[in-house]
Amino acid sequence: MAGLVLLQVLFLNRISLFGYVTPLFYLWFIVRFDSSMSRYSMLLWGFVTGLAVDFFTGTPGLNAASATLAAMFQPAMVKLFLSKDRREVIIPGRASMGAGPFAGYIFLMTMLHHSAYFLLRSIPLEDWVVITAKIVFSTLLTFIAMLAVGYSADKPNQRRSI
Amino acid sequence: MRSLLDFLAKQAHVLLFILMEALSLLLLFGLNDRQRLAFMTSANRLSGTVLEWRARVESYIGLKGENERLLTENAYLRERLLSLSDSLELERVSQGESVFTVARVIDNSVRKDDNFITIDKGRSDGVDQGMGVFDSRGVIGVVEVAGSHYSVVLPVLNSKSSISCKVSGSSSIGFLEWRGGDPYRAMVNDMPYHTVVSTGDTIVTSGYSSAFPENIPVGVVERVEQQRMSYTLAVTVSLFVDMSDLRWVYVNTMKPDPELEELEGPE
Repeated sequence: MAGLVLLQVLFLNRISLFGYVTPLFYLWFIVRFDSSMSRYSMLLWGFVTGLAVDFFTGTPGLNAASATLAAMFQPAMVKLFLSKDRREVIIPGRASMGAGPFAGYIFLMTMLHHSAYFLLRSIPLEDWVVITAKIVFSTLLTFIAMLAVGYSADKPNQRRSI
Repeated sequence: MRSLLDFLAKQAHVLLFILMEALSLLLLFGLNDRQRLAFMTSANRLSGTVLEWRARVESYIGLKGENERLLTENAYLRERLLSLSDSLELERVSQGESVFTVARVIDNSVRKDDNFITIDKGRSDGVDQGMGVFDSRGVIGVVEVAGSHYSVVLPVLNSKSSISCKVSGSSSIGFLEWRGGDPYRAMVNDMPYHTVVSTGDTIVTSGYSSAFPENIPVGVVERVEQQRMSYTLAVTVSLFVDMSDLRWVYVNTMKPDPELEELEGPE
């Protein structure tokens, strides 16, 4: 987690393509929560990760709120893309879920988290075109980054710890 | 009753979720501007070290440009030194007071509506609220909150920033303000109707406030509009400083004349 937070605040927050697009890759930490974790610890870890990013960016509560939201819905999202008969403990990834479902899963997670993030950041919601553009393009960028990392780091039939 | 308790026990994490979202939103919207800035400065006491690493690494990138800028400034200063060596300016230096403090920019943004800059000097270095910040190219902003070792600067690119300035060589003043959007342009408002100003003129600080000495460059006039309602001019200025590329800055740590302060009273 510390590594992802540092990556986010030292490097990724400096990226601002066309003034709109910022990848929020620290979400990867929440995406990879394994399904044996209790709901409480998921929520707490989500909150703490968000708050840690907030601490560096001077936006108290912004990342904490959106990361907690993502942590809350993570188990439901995993369930949505996992076939019904599977009940074992998994770390969401290409190996455990299959390439297609995993891509769908990270896309929905990213969209949820980024929508919350950019909506909260843009209050009062004035310029809908800009806000939508920020959500759509940042979601795409983070999604592609996660896809790339997920595909190279997570070889099939291999367990990795986070 | 039993089933209700069971249900609540199973859904208890929802309560935790609501609690933590409430806490986050309270942090996000419940804090006023000063508390938010206090969060930033206290946060910077912890994160400052890390942000400093980043600034240190980034300072290697673009060293060539930085060097050229310093050489240009050096040449300019040398020229000024020659022309001023026998005038009053040197008197102040010879009093042994250091007038400007050099600080490193460790965090900066230009793309938000209200941008802030963090520098690695604070009260222990003599930096205090209300002091002007500029670099070799021109005006950057004014110190908003000074922590013990770090300070947050309200740059020109913030809707709350307002800096007194004038057309170089004239004496009618206006206020440099910014309304979001283009990080390379700002407005000078409230300039008297009769001011002689045209495209290409240089805007400099007025020296009427204690934040900046007189004649620190601000930018070049791009467009002049007459505001018929208020009989003032609205001047669009192309800023000299590229706010997205800040590394080292000067803070005007010269103490304002106590007599002047007394006359003007607390703000």
